[in-house]
Amino acid sequence: MSQRFLLSRFIDLLVVLFGVSIIVFLMIRLIPGDAVAIMLGANTEITPDRIAELKSRIGLDQPILIQYGRWIWGAVQGDLGTSIWTGRPVMQEIGANIWPTIELTLLSVLVGAGLSIPLGAFMAEARGKGAEVFVRIGAIAGLTIPSFWLGIVSIFMVAKFLPGVQALGYVPFSEDPLGNLQRMILPVIALSLPMLANLSRLVRSAMLDALSQDYIRTAKAKGANRRRIIYKHALRNALIPFITSVGVSAGYLLGGAIVIEQVFAIPGLGRLVLGAIAERNYPLVQATILVMTTAFVLVNFLVDMLYAVIDPRVSR
Amino acid sequence: MSLKKLSAALLATSILVSTASAATLNIAIDSSPAGLDPHLITAFNSVVIVQDNIYEGLTAIDKDQAVVPGLAESWEISDDGLTYTFKLRSGVTFHDGSAMDAEDVAASIRRVQSEAVASPLASRVSPIVDIKIIDPTTVALVLDAPFAPILSSLAGIAIVPAEMEKDVDALQQTPDGTGPFKFAEWQPNGFISLDKNDAYYREGEPKLDEVVFNFVPEAATRQVGITSGEYDLLPGIDPATALQLQGQAGVTVQQTRDLSYTLLGMNVSRPPFDKVEVREAVNMLLNRQEIIDGALFGSGVPAGPLSPALTEWALDPSTFSCYTTNVDGAKALLKEAGVETPIKLTMNVLPRQDTRDIAQVIQQELAAGGIEVELINQEIGQFVQDWRNSNFDMFVSANGGSPDPDGYFYRTFIGGGSTNVFKYDDAEVDSWLNEGRVETDQAARKAIYDKLQTKLACDGPVAHIAYGTLNTAVSDKVKGFEIYANGRLTSLVNVTVDE
Amino acid sequence: MIGFARQNRLFSFAVVFVALQVLLAVFAPALGLQDPYAQIMVQRLKGPSPVNWLGTDQLGRDILSRIIYGYRTSLLTCVTAVILSLLAGGTLGMLAAYYRGWFDRIVMRLMDVLFAFPILLLAIAVIAVLGPSIWGAAIAIAIVYTPIFSRLLRGPALVICESEYVTGAKAIGAGDMRIIFLHLLPNLASVVLVQTSLLLSAAILVEASLSFLGLGAQPPTPSLGLMLSEGRNFLLLAPWPAIFAGFAILFLSFGFNLLGDALRDTLDPRLRKES
Repeated sequence: MSQRFLLSRFIDLLVVLFGVSIIVFLMIRLIPGDAVAIMLGANTEITPDRIAELKSRIGLDQPILIQYGRWIWGAVQGDLGTSIWTGRPVMQEIGANIWPTIELTLLSVLVGAGLSIPLGAFMAEARGKGAEVFVRIGAIAGLTIPSFWLGIVSIFMVAKFLPGVQALGYVPFSEDPLGNLQRMILPVIALSLPMLANLSRLVRSAMLDALSQDYIRTAKAKGANRRRIIYKHALRNALIPFITSVGVSAGYLLGGAIVIEQVFAIPGLGRLVLGAIAERNYPLVQATILVMTTAFVLVNFLVDMLYAVIDPRVSR
Repeated sequence: MSLKKLSAALLATSILVSTASAATLNIAIDSSPAGLDPHLITAFNSVVIVQDNIYEGLTAIDKDQAVVPGLAESWEISDDGLTYTFKLRSGVTFHDGSAMDAEDVAASIRRVQSEAVASPLASRVSPIVDIKIIDPTTVALVLDAPFAPILSSLAGIAIVPAEMEKDVDALQQTPDGTGPFKFAEWQPNGFISLDKNDAYYREGEPKLDEVVFNFVPEAATRQVGITSGEYDLLPGIDPATALQLQGQAGVTVQQTRDLSYTLLGMNVSRPPFDKVEVREAVNMLLNRQEIIDGALFGSGVPAGPLSPALTEWALDPSTFSCYTTNVDGAKALLKEAGVETPIKLTMNVLPRQDTRDIAQVIQQELAAGGIEVELINQEIGQFVQDWRNSNFDMFVSANGGSPDPDGYFYRTFIGGGSTNVFKYDDAEVDSWLNEGRVETDQAARKAIYDKLQTKLACDGPVAHIAYGTLNTAVSDKVKGFEIYANGRLTSLVNVTVDE
Repeated sequence: MIGFARQNRLFSFAVVFVALQVLLAVFAPALGLQDPYAQIMVQRLKGPSPVNWLGTDQLGRDILSRIIYGYRTSLLTCVTAVILSLLAGGTLGMLAAYYRGWFDRIVMRLMDVLFAFPILLLAIAVIAVLGPSIWGAAIAIAIVYTPIFSRLLRGPALVICESEYVTGAKAIGAGDMRIIFLHLLPNLASVVLVQTSLLLSAAILVEASLSFLGLGAQPPTPSLGLMLSEGRNFLLLAPWPAIFAGFAILFLSFGFNLLGDALRDTLDPRLRKES
């Protein structure tokens, strides 16, 4: 991997993050209904003076460029400000909410990616047989089933038929490993299903691709173990698109499990940002979205690096 | 020691052991509170956690809406009705260990009145012009004019440590009160937990070791959670959830008449609502029972201006002339007012399931009289902003109640009142409202509020829709819980949980 | 050859399945359905019956007609969104490929920035600015998909731009627009067709999620996501609204995905040859 390649990708990364920070910052200020109005709530004796005072207390009276400058300067030094509502450092709030999201993401990626290889191989083998149509329809259904619907229906099913299972909320793994995993089952199924459907189709087409290659036909003709060959060559071929797809999925899950976190009462980043938008908690929204997008961009950056390792041609 | 005695002793220790294992009450509410400072919060989610659990006032409100002693064990009112002298309980300490005395009471009231804190509760104590500390356990409040609701108002003024008087931030995150439970931990989005206050001044209370408020946004999730035993108590649940939980094994739904009400607000500064006939016609087009059956699953009663929970004050809504649905009468009134029908108007809707459904039913009912309503379903921030700026033709929303009629009416209907977003200004109503505040004779006061209710019901800027039923789902493991009409969890001090 | 026949059958099935749903939505007013807005309180939350084939919702409205009108809402929002993003993203992507240089760099970095946001999060933020409505949702989805189309079209466009007949066209002095319209667009049609169908499928899910969170279509508009969102509160009393709305979303999204998938196989000569 050449240093120049690394450097240019790293600069791209910084440029994207800078763009993200500007968009986040501007967007939340375009949202109608400001923080002060919501803080003061419906019952208030407030005069314009009081509103101005409150605004200056949370720094909203400054010109927008100065607000942005202050924010980004703090962010570079690791200080993303304090939550308007609780007065706690934003990093602390994110820290308290990031673990459930990370666990949910990792488990979903593990399940989705892990199962996709045998499933994809099975789908490839089913090609041309009667089962193919069903397998494909099943995969597409898995991709298009609304996950929040699946979540809600499964909560009711579990409550009805498996009353002993604790399916809601979150307990840290360190406190109660079994309870933690029990609560992860339904959300992980709901989140990994689309990924599983997607990745298994990818594995399937890579397998079919490999099957049609001349050298495999040759190997087959020579009487080598068919299954072994398919796996070896197909998986090597599928590696790059597979990793990309896993990377993209993982990145999205870090911030994309919003609805599932909402349905299963999981205290993760998605719920944090949704609540923060509703209460116009500017510092918290800015920081949370920045953290989510940074995670996504970083994962993609790592995937790029990985390509370069796998296939040195990329980095030239 | 005989065998019998031994086994008795063993039994006793085993009982001791079982009570010693931490008794935790798991409560589920829909979202994280916006803050915990008792002088700044207004949202139900904050109040339900803080009031009566962490903080107490000089007085308290009991289950029947009557004023009872709180941190003050007794009080005297001077003959002119201007001076209230409170005798404080002795031996009360804050959760930080410092003693609570008259200095803290004075500082707390000053804090609510201060401009820097900008407390939404300020109007409740605005008549207090002087606070005299007579001795560490005696404090006198001097009013500028007699103010009948002061005792019930003081129940909502939390007493905080005196050093908090100038501090606007600290209490939002780390409360410090005198209540039966003390703040322990806040996981934003996760839960707030309160621990037992071992130094609580009432012997043997509270009985619980820990109370956890879990934040669970989905009603369906809360509902499943209480049947599966994850949660023990769901305060203030919506009628549909209540209906589904009734009859489920292991759960009881406690009900009481709610103090808060749903309403249709009309902007008097915009035509056609500047005409009293139009406001009356709107009332006549509504079929409150149909709204209640449709949007509230039948759990609620048609609303007059005061909640029937205020049994001493509220008039029966059927006595109001405009409460009988009368489409022809409404059309005639609109014609009289010179309104060309069909007329197109907009209606902002508070983002809540019940208010959204109410708005949809109202839309259909008003259409019968030629009032075509476009519903504007807003996100909460936008709704509040438009509400505050009187930027609406009509809106559907919910308003909190109060144990005293002054709490319902004054700020909302007096000309220029802080929550009079309707821009309603009526000289007669203003003078009655001011009379009602200073009148201390109960019968004379009642006569004033009777007149107000009758006038506001049909001429006012608000068409009162319904007082809902306040539903709280309680797991059968929970003993000693009693529902309060104001939604507060005051009875938690007496609650126990069976393991 | 057996595989190819099956391929064709699947493709035909996908076309019929999608067409059926689209036609239902387009001709909803002519189907003699009940008024999707009419409330009959005494009939609320009833199960399927000869009068209301799929039952009624919490305000006594007919679920069947609300679902079919919900298809209209959903398709209107998503088709608008995908067309907008195709126009914006496609134009940017092709121009970037054609002009290269600093224009390419700026456009693609901007797309990278947009692409870095989780889809739903970006959509939520955009709607927070625009206000919750079906048009807010359509614009939000369009913004979210713009980088996808721009990246998708830039790649193949680059290849075509460097191909001999485009460099040839340039050499004989053909105008930029002429090259783009005559050579670039036709060659990208199949990629666009497949992707449009797949993204429509995904957009339907995003729109449903947004309505579910209260950020898309607003009551009393009939909307699938909204029906699911309202119905979930009454699941034990009456599962019909939520269950049927969920299936409706699944069928619609499924149809477009299957169509895109089958289309890809049919248009991809490599796979056809193989079987």
